[in-house]
Parts: sequence; C-alpha cells; structure tokens
Amino acid sequence: MSFESITAQPAEAIPTPIFSSAKHDGDRYSPFTVNIDRLVPFRTLTGRQQFYLDHEIFQEYGEMLANYKPTLPPQVMAPGDTTVKRDDHELALRYMTPHGKWNIHTMYYDNLEMLTLFRGGPNVWLSPIDADKAGIKDNDWLEIYNRNGVVTARAVVSHRMPAGSMYMYHAQDMEIQEPLANITGNRGGSHNAPTQIHIKPTQMVGGYGQLSYGFNYYGPIGNQRDLYVAVRKLKKVNWNED
Amino acid sequence: MEDEEHYRGGWELNSKGKLQLKAGNKLNKVGLGKIFYNPNMPELDDYYEPWTYDYQTLFGPEKKHQPVARAKSQITGQTMTLTTGPNWDDDLAGSPEYVKQDPNMDKIETDIKTNFEQAFMMYLPRLCEHCLNAPCVASCPSGAMYKRDEDGIVLVDQERCRGWRMCMTGCPYKKVYFNWKTNKAEKCTFCYPRIEEGEPTVCAETCVGRIRYIGVMLYDADRVESAAETPDQSKLYEAQLDLFLDPNDPKIIEQALADGISEEMIECAQRSPIYRMAVKEKIAFPLHPEYRTMPMVWYIPPLSPIMNYFEGRDSINNPDMIFPGIDEMRVPVDYLASLLTGGNVPAIKSALYKLAMMRLYMRAKTSGRDFETAKLARVGLTENTATSLYRLLAIAKYEDRFVIPKSHKEKVEDAQSEQGTLGYDECKGCSLAPQHGSMFKKAEAGESTNQIYAESFYGGIWRD
Repeated sequence: MSFESITAQPAEAIPTPIFSSAKHDGDRYSPFTVNIDRLVPFRTLTGRQQFYLDHEIFQEYGEMLANYKPTLPPQVMAPGDTTVKRDDHELALRYMTPHGKWNIHTMYYDNLEMLTLFRGGPNVWLSPIDADKAGIKDNDWLEIYNRNGVVTARAVVSHRMPAGSMYMYHAQDMEIQEPLANITGNRGGSHNAPTQIHIKPTQMVGGYGQLSYGFNYYGPIGNQRDLYVAVRKLKKVNWNED
Repeated sequence: MEDEEHYRGGWELNSKGKLQLKAGNKLNKVGLGKIFYNPNMPELDDYYEPWTYDYQTLFGPEKKHQPVARAKSQITGQTMTLTTGPNWDDDLAGSPEYVKQDPNMDKIETDIKTNFEQAFMMYLPRLCEHCLNAPCVASCPSGAMYKRDEDGIVLVDQERCRGWRMCMTGCPYKKVYFNWKTNKAEKCTFCYPRIEEGEPTVCAETCVGRIRYIGVMLYDADRVESAAETPDQSKLYEAQLDLFLDPNDPKIIEQALADGISEEMIECAQRSPIYRMAVKEKIAFPLHPEYRTMPMVWYIPPLSPIMNYFEGRDSINNPDMIFPGIDEMRVPVDYLASLLTGGNVPAIKSALYKLAMMRLYMRAKTSGRDFETAKLARVGLTENTATSLYRLLAIAKYEDRFVIPKSHKEKVEDAQSEQGTLGYDECKGCSLAPQHGSMFKKAEAGESTNQIYAESFYGGIWRD
C-alpha cells in the first residue's frame, strides 16, 4: 500500500497481525478467526481464549473476571477547582455521549443535508422530568459544565430519556451554531469538553502475557464518560462574532 | 401535518352521504372566489424554513473568539433562530409538546403517552399513495393532475399546472410540493419511466431493508365511489379490500381480457406480492383510510417490539401466549389502527397474530423443536402458507418482490421511429417545464451542477 494507492481509491488495511482475520474467499473481516482457522495460538499465557486473569493486581482489585462496578458518585466540581456561581435551578445529570444515528463521529455528517436534518447545531437530550425541575423547555439554550469544560447546546426534551441522565450525541462540532458560554466567556466546546480520561491502576499492568499497556489502547475503557455535569439555562445567548 | 382537521386534506361525506372534498369542491372555490384565498394552505412555517450556515466566517481574519458558522436562512439570507426543521420531532424529540398534536395518540391512555418505561415509536416511510380516489386530482382547478389509466400512477401535467396549489391542500398526506422556481406542483412520479420498463421504483429497488414490494392489483373502478362513501370510517378498509378482484377467477380474467387488459398484466396480477399480502393474508393495510382516498400504498404493521414477551423459554410450547401478547405490545394496537384501519382494531390484531404465529412456527422449525401445527389454523395459516409467507416477507428474491409488467408502448406509438430518441422531447404534456429547460442553458453557460441545484431545487422544494 502506498500514498498513491490510497489517494486513488479506498483501500483496506488491517494494521494488527494479532486480532486478525484471514479474509480468504471474500469473507468479511472478523477478529480472531485466524486463531481458529489457522490454529495460531491466542496471545494469552495459555495460548487459548482466556477470561480469568490471575495477575496479583487484578486479584487485589477483585477484577479477575469481568464484573459489575457501580458508577462513581456524582461529582461536578471538586475542591480547588475554579468557582462557578451556581444557578438556583441547576441539575446534576449523568452525562452520556452515544454515537449518532446517522454518523460515525463527523463521518457522513459534515454536509448541508445532515447538518440541517434534525435541529441544526449542537443539542442535548434530557427527560421532561428533569427539564421541568430546571424550567427548561424544548429548544431552550443550555449551558452544560463540570470541572473539565463547558458546552452550550439546545435542549431536546423527550420522554425517551430516563430521569437523571442526559445525552449529547457524538461529534456535534463547535464550529456550527455554538454560542459563547456564560461561565468562560469563550465558545462552548464539543461533546468531549466535559469528559476526561481516568486511568485505573489495573489498566497500567504490563509485561505479563497478554497484558501490555498502551496509552488509550488497553484502557482507559469508556470510563472517561462515567461522569456528571451541571445543566442550566444559558442566560445570555451571545455569539460574539468579533 | 398529521392533523387533517386542521389542514383540511382528503374527503368527507356531506349531509347527503356523498363524497366532498374537505376543503370544498371545485365550483365552490371558483364561485366564491376562494380560488384566490386558501386559508388551509400549509405555509412555509408548517414545513420549515430551509437554512444553511455562514461557512465563510470560518475562513475570516483572526478574532478574539473561535469563529462559528451560524444558521442563515436560504430564503432571506438573514441569520435565523432555529425553531423548526426536517425531522424536528424525530425519535420522540420534543415529545411533551408534539405528542399532543398527533391525532393518532388521541386514543392512547394519557399515562402511556409520555411515559419513559412505555415509550414507543415507529418509523413510517410515507410517499404519494397514488390513490384510487385521489383528492389532489379532484382539487385541481386546471385539470393538470391526473391518474393514468394504464398503471394508476398519479402525475402532474407540467404544461397545464397553473400553480393554484389546491392539490397541496387536497392531499391529506401532504405529498404534493410546490416548486417556487418553476411555479408548478411536483410530486412522486412512482418512477413511471422505470415502471413502464417493468422495473421497480428507485425507492423500492434501493431499500436496504427490502421492505418495499410492488405488484399489480385488479380492481373494479366503477365501485370506487360507492366504496369511498361507506359511512362508517372503520369499515373503509374492508370496503377498499372489496374492490380488489381475484386475478385467478375465470370470470374476472374473461372480463379483463374483454376490457383490453393484456394477458401479461393479468399474469402479473396473479403473481402479485401485494395481492398475496393485502387480500389473501390480510396483513397489509392502507394509510389513513378515513381520508376516503382509497390509497394504494399499503403497510404491514410492525410486530417486533413485543417479541420478547412471547419468545421466552416456554413460548414455543405455548403459542397461545401470542393472543394476550399482542395486547401488551409496545406499539399499542389502537395507535396502529388509528394509522392503518380507521380504528378497526380486530383487523390489525388478526394480522399481528398471523405474523407472530408464522414466526413461532418458523422458529420451531429451524431450531428443530416440536410445534403443534393445528395452532396455525387458528390464524388462518397452514404449514405451506406459513412457510411461503415467511419466504415472501423475509427472503423473497427480487423477481418475487417486484412483479411489474412492461407498458408495451409499441402498441400505442410507432416504436421504430422512436429509436434513438430520448422518449420525452416531443411528447406533449411530459416535456420539461420552461424552468427545467433553462437549467440546460445555465449548464451551457458554465454554471456548476451544485450552483444550479442550489438555485433551482433545494430552495424550491419543501420537504417534511
């Protein structure tokens, strides 16, 4: 594969030799099939598919097998953070960032049809129960913040959302229809402004069979999205185009 | 746009029990001068004001703040506040407000309407219904809208259209649009050039889920009016069903041949997937029969949201569970009946029983379990019909989904002299409207396709 070949037409690349697929006879990519078809040992201590991890740090954390751990307690700001004056009708909601209905990040999305298809510009989904508490109506401008950052977006109030949680779909970029945040005086961020990577000690275990730490590869898993935000109405919608 | 009490599309029965356009008949419009005043016309804000973004600011000089492309109206060019748009209420967005406006939700219990645990929604692709009793045709003061004899496709004669837009009001599905560049009405053409060649419409051909089927239906045109005048709106579905003729009945075949219907057409009607689903199995239904339009695009109500209820561990042994199960369906049967049968709930239920039983039967068959086949009879199926219905719905091949006879134009025109021509350039009534012709001139003058498209179409056609 060369630069010329990939600019001429789309080309398929399978960058890893480990989790790969033989893809003969027009088969679609499916991970680990070489381990079965060609009897290549799995890259584990036993050479087989292995679910139990007998590593002492995993044992210490009780995570030798996949198990449920509750989410972290709600925390929006922490001691020592910049002080933000709280609003009287402010909500603390679980913040989730699912992939969009029509797009994978900005792919297939950055065109006029898609950018004008739903509500145009950034929006967040919340339940009518939460919206009522904060006096939020459908299509109101909101300011969403926590210790990591601020987003401005319009409310989509829907009973499709459970109380206590909110959505901001992926990759609604801040270049489109995003006003200034009142808290920072700067342009609101994208869906990732309130998120931050948390690293768990178990994710840094390395040098042990299949466990090899790589930044943002072997963890952190989705836990950077295990967080809460404060939600309130955006008092002043200021575009400040100067 | 679902509320035709507000937009006055479709038909109603007058005091004598006769059909009458909800928005008033033609004479009434001309006589009372209403032709110049149509209070029921959907306006720009009933659709939405199309917008774009001011991308140029992203490339401007350095500023204090990160630049942003704001929404800008495609009509006025002014910065705008977005309050409505296409798919504005998609996936139950803004439901506390919009559920109230949906007449199909009237019969749903208040606490289910906007309850998270019982939230329901479904997608319903809507297109022109190519009605047997088309109110757009009856509404047109210029006689520009017509339903073709040979295949039933409803079209707008671009030469005769004078832009009165009564069709937009008349159509209760709101599927006629106005092109503000050409000042003519435009609508779905059912891809008639493809249909004439025996090919399916583009929407049907390209449907990823393969949910669309096209086939021939023979019907008794003389009885359409009386069927549409059935007083009870919950009987309209059955009244329309009664119009369809059995293409295997020797008497019908004889009459059809005498009326000049080709043998190929009759043969296609016999293999019609639509006849199988609508008439034989009764699993497909017309959209809003209460509009008295006798629509010809029919829908199979969805089943999957309830499958968990009765596809559990014991369900195969107890197919009777589907009968109470259908009432527990996430998408309530009352809602489906409001969309598809004018409130006839038993008709919807029996279709869902049949689909559910077919699934249970096929599941038992493919997983090698026992199934008491006598259960099939309760929903009007046999082992053979259940299997062939499954094949038609799940794995039908292209030629089973689309059974379309060619139009045989060689019988009405001199095919030899037409060789090598475009087929439309000299045809009166199907030529390009003057504005369309001017697009070719623009292209010759060096305008790009994008420019022509933006000027001529995007701002000109309102989509919902």
